[in-house]
This record gives sequence, structure tokens and C-alpha cells, in this order.
Amino acid sequence: MATQGTTARVSVSTQVRVSKSPTRLAMERFMVNKMAIISVIVLLLIVILSLAAPLLTHYNPNMQDLANTDAPPSALHLLGTNSQGMDYLARDLYGGQRDLLIGFSDTVFIMFIGMVLGGIAGYYGGWVDSLVMRICDFMFNFPFLLLIIILSSIFNTTGVWLLITVIGLTGWPGVTRLIRGLFLNLRESEFVLSAKIAGAGPWRIIFKHMIPTVMGTLVVNATFQMAYMISAEAALSVIGFGVQPPTPTWGNVLSGALDYFTLRTEPWAWLPPALLITITILCINFIGDGLRDAFDPSFEK
Amino acid sequence: MGTYIVRRLLGMIPMLFLITVAVFLMMHAAPGNAFDAILNPGIKDMAALKQRLIESAGLNKPLWWQYGHWITQFVQGNWGYSFTQHQPVITLIGPALRNTLLLAVMAEIMILAIGIPVGILQARNPYGRFDYVISTFSFVLFSVPYFILAIFLIYFFAIDLGIFPAQGAVGTGPGAGSFVDHVDHAFLPALAIALVSTTVYSRYTRGSMLDVSRKDYVRTAYAKGLSGSLVFRKHVLRNAMIPIVTQFGYDIGGLVGGAVILEGLFSYQGMGLLTINAVNGRDYPVIMATSLLFAVGVLIGNLVADILYAVVDPRIRYN
Repeated sequence: MATQGTTARVSVSTQVRVSKSPTRLAMERFMVNKMAIISVIVLLLIVILSLAAPLLTHYNPNMQDLANTDAPPSALHLLGTNSQGMDYLARDLYGGQRDLLIGFSDTVFIMFIGMVLGGIAGYYGGWVDSLVMRICDFMFNFPFLLLIIILSSIFNTTGVWLLITVIGLTGWPGVTRLIRGLFLNLRESEFVLSAKIAGAGPWRIIFKHMIPTVMGTLVVNATFQMAYMISAEAALSVIGFGVQPPTPTWGNVLSGALDYFTLRTEPWAWLPPALLITITILCINFIGDGLRDAFDPSFEK
Repeated sequence: MGTYIVRRLLGMIPMLFLITVAVFLMMHAAPGNAFDAILNPGIKDMAALKQRLIESAGLNKPLWWQYGHWITQFVQGNWGYSFTQHQPVITLIGPALRNTLLLAVMAEIMILAIGIPVGILQARNPYGRFDYVISTFSFVLFSVPYFILAIFLIYFFAIDLGIFPAQGAVGTGPGAGSFVDHVDHAFLPALAIALVSTTVYSRYTRGSMLDVSRKDYVRTAYAKGLSGSLVFRKHVLRNAMIPIVTQFGYDIGGLVGGAVILEGLFSYQGMGLLTINAVNGRDYPVIMATSLLFAVGVLIGNLVADILYAVVDPRIRYN
């Protein structure tokens, strides 16, 4: 209140000056964070490279050039080919599309479930809260590999969307707990009470009043979630539970190049996907870190 | 304390019950049954034989009866036969659990032996050069997925230098199966687990020590005229270890099933690899057993964390 008063007085004496919104202030703090800005640029570059894959390579990622199998990098195949003659560069570029899709959709999926369940649990408290928290406990203890077999036997396929569903269905308890904790703190605050008195329903209070309040924390958390999702895709591919090969994903390209011979003699096969995964995750984490500092400057670095 | 532990143990029962029910129902919903996997398709009059076997095994009984039957058998240690390996599940679990526990213990020793001292050194001189370098390095290392770290470890230590084996849990030759052989094989996967967690522990230790060193009783200790290192050792370090010990307890639970991906990558014959192979082979009895053990591991880990918390922090009272 005090700052608003001074701003008003200043604006009277000089020109009309609109005070900056919290989001605007956060953006300004973010823009001066060097690592975060570099990460945004690198990440954008990776996104553009993946989306523009058809423009950058004329190879189909699944086309088999049987005259050139296991080829080293050459003018024809810039990053060589695998044992079935598929072009590694094309697979790395197209793979990025799937990985970014998985990372993005799962983050949206999980944040949505987290907001609804965590929101309800934190808003109502009481037995609703206990019920949701017990479900979360259960999910934390439940072996998710099992869920993957069941789902793959039901749908009889292991495509990208099945993997997204599986990762989404198993990934929500952490976020749900977080949001529930935030909401338990918020539900007693004055603005929620005044919204209630004004006659707003629970959905309106949760989505119009409480979620915007914790948006900063949610955005930061969503960023870290996205990094985790991309890592999960690749990890599942490595043990053979990812998207069915030969669909190109970074995890599939990597896991197809993990035998002793390839590791030893063909670094162009496994190094690019490994670096792409690592750099993408590193960039997302730096961005998340930057966002956290921007939204909450008091957070100890 | 005793009553608290007993109460917590009893409190685990509903969760265990729910998990067994869910595992049982999922396996029930999955296609195929034991006899499809075992019976030789060449047998004459297959359908009638199968019918007889299904009746004798109670598979035509109501679901609750089958669950009751399975859970009683399970509790008595009769975990069924593996479809694909044609051995009792319990004889498969034994060595796998031993290997996984060895891996877990080695990883945990590395984590504690590196993570905590590094964190302490950082906290001794916060915002100094060492602290800054380690913090940045930790942040980068923390962002590298552990299986990619493992691939680089395999590339450098196993392929390039040839110091450590990158495959399996036991080797071949005269020394195969000895303790040294086991440790040798567990070294790289353990290091891969440890490197990432080390950064978590050093960060925790540093943060916790900085928190504690701002407390009033630390100032009092300095005011009494105690030397800096004594205050650090006796007043800061001991109190700063409380959250670390709790974190350690939670880690124990994850250790039983936590290394599934790395065990797959290293073909390390532990619980993780056993589960992966069972899932690929639709080997339901093995999946049920390992799933339950993973769940029990997590539950026991949480319990141990709470108990350790009470032991190291006398302010916590459970009544």
C-alpha cells in the first residue's frame, strides 16, 4: 500500500506513470539473467532445428539406404547411417519433434491433473484432502513398469501417445502434493475469504483466484517437470519400454547405438542424441532456475 | 518409540493391501495365464487338460477367492513358478536382491563419502571460489540424466581404459563370483547412481549448515569463546545432519527398485533387470513378486526415515 501511495504522489508531480505489474518485474529480472537468456536461445535453436527437420534434410528418418549401412559421416550422410541404413542426422532432427512433443504434452497433462486434484484437496481440506493424499501415496508406491505393460496390452501398440499417457498417468502425484501444500496456505487468506463472501463458487475461486496467485511457482515447477519428462522418455527407451523403434526419438536413436562395437567405433551414432538430450535438459533447468529467481527474488541461490 | 514403530508398522498394512489388490487385478486383467505359457501345444486333447488344470488351480473360482489364495501362498513364501525360466520365483529373487543391495550399498557409500564432505567444505567458506565452482559444476552434473552419465562412464572406464567391466554382475574366469568380482562389476553402475545424487547431498549439506550457522545458539557458542572449528564440529555439523539423515532414510526405500534403468543399461543381474526381463516375457509371477518387493522397500524406507529422524532429533516426539 505504501509503495502505491508514493507512486501515485510521484505520478501527480511528474507525468502519468503506470507502475509495473509483478509479471513485468519478473520478466525484467529474467532478462538480465545471462545463463537463462543463453539457454532460451539454445533451446529455441533446438526447437527450430527439430520443427524444420523436413527443410534441413531430405532423408526420411525411417528410409533404409541399404547401399550405405553403418556408414561413417560423409557428404551423403552427414552423421552416417545405422545398421539398417537410416540416416542419423534425419533421425536426430525428427527425434527432437517427438521428444519435445512428449515433454510439452506431459507437462500440460500433469500440471492439469495436479491443479485439479491438488486444488480440490487444498481448497476443501478434510476428508477430500486425505483421500487425494492417500491416492498420491499409493501412486508413489506403485510400480509404474506394470502400468506400461497393462496399457500396452490393452492398446496393442506402443506409440508416442501411449507413452505420453503412461508417463502422464504416473507422474502427477508430485505436482499434486505441491499444489495442495500451496493451497492449504492460501485458503485462509483474506482474498479467498472475500471471494467466498462475494459468492464465488469453488471452481471460480480455485482457477480465477488461487491458481493465478501461485502461478510463478507453478511455471517454475512445470519447467523442471518438462526436463524430467524428456529424460524419462530416453530412459524408458534405453531399457526397451519407450516408443516402439524404428520411430525416431532421441532415446531410440541412443538406445540403438549402445552395443560395445557402436560405442567404441561410432561416436557419431550415440554422441549427438546424448548431447541433444543433455543440452535440452540443461537449458530447461537453467531457464527454470532463472524463472525461480525472477518470480521470487528472495530465494537463496 | 516402540509403540510408535508398532503403530507405523500396522499403518503400513492398508497400503500394502491396496498395492497387492492392484497388482493382482492388473495381472488378472493382462492377457494369457500360467498354462498358456507352460503347456506344450502338441499335447493331445489340450482343451480338456487345460480345463482340468484351471479347475484344480482355482482359476474358475470368484476373484476374491483367487486373491485370498494367492496372498496366503505369497505370505507363506510360495511365490509360484517363473513362466520363462521354469524355476521357483523365490530362487530367482534371492541372488537378484543380493546384487541390487550390493549395488545400493556401494552407491550409498560413494554418495555419503563424497557428497557430505564436499557440502561441508562449501559451507565452511560460503560464496567463495570453491563454493562457486562446485555449485556450478553440481548444477550442470545434476542436469545430465544419469543414464547418459552412465554411457560416458562406460565409454571412458570400460571401453577406453578397460579398468572396469561394463556388463553383468559377475565375470568369468577363476575369480568369478568372489566378493571382489561382485564389487568390481558393481563399481560403474554404482558410480553412475552416486554422481548425480552426490550433487543433491552436497547441496543439502551446504544449505542445511548455512541455515544452522545463522542460529542464535551458534552465536552463543562463539560468544563463549569456543574456537571456530569446535563450533563447526560440535554445534553446526551435528544439527545440520538432521535433514540429511532423513533424506538418507527416504533413499533406502528407492534403493531396492531405484536402479531399474541402470541395471538394464549395464545388464546387471539385479531386481531391476529381473523385472525388465519378466515384463518382456510376460512372466507374471515374477512381476508380481518384484512389484511387491519394490513397494515394501519404499514403505520400509519411509518408516526408517521417520525413525531415524526421531533418533537424531530429540525434539521430535511421537505420542
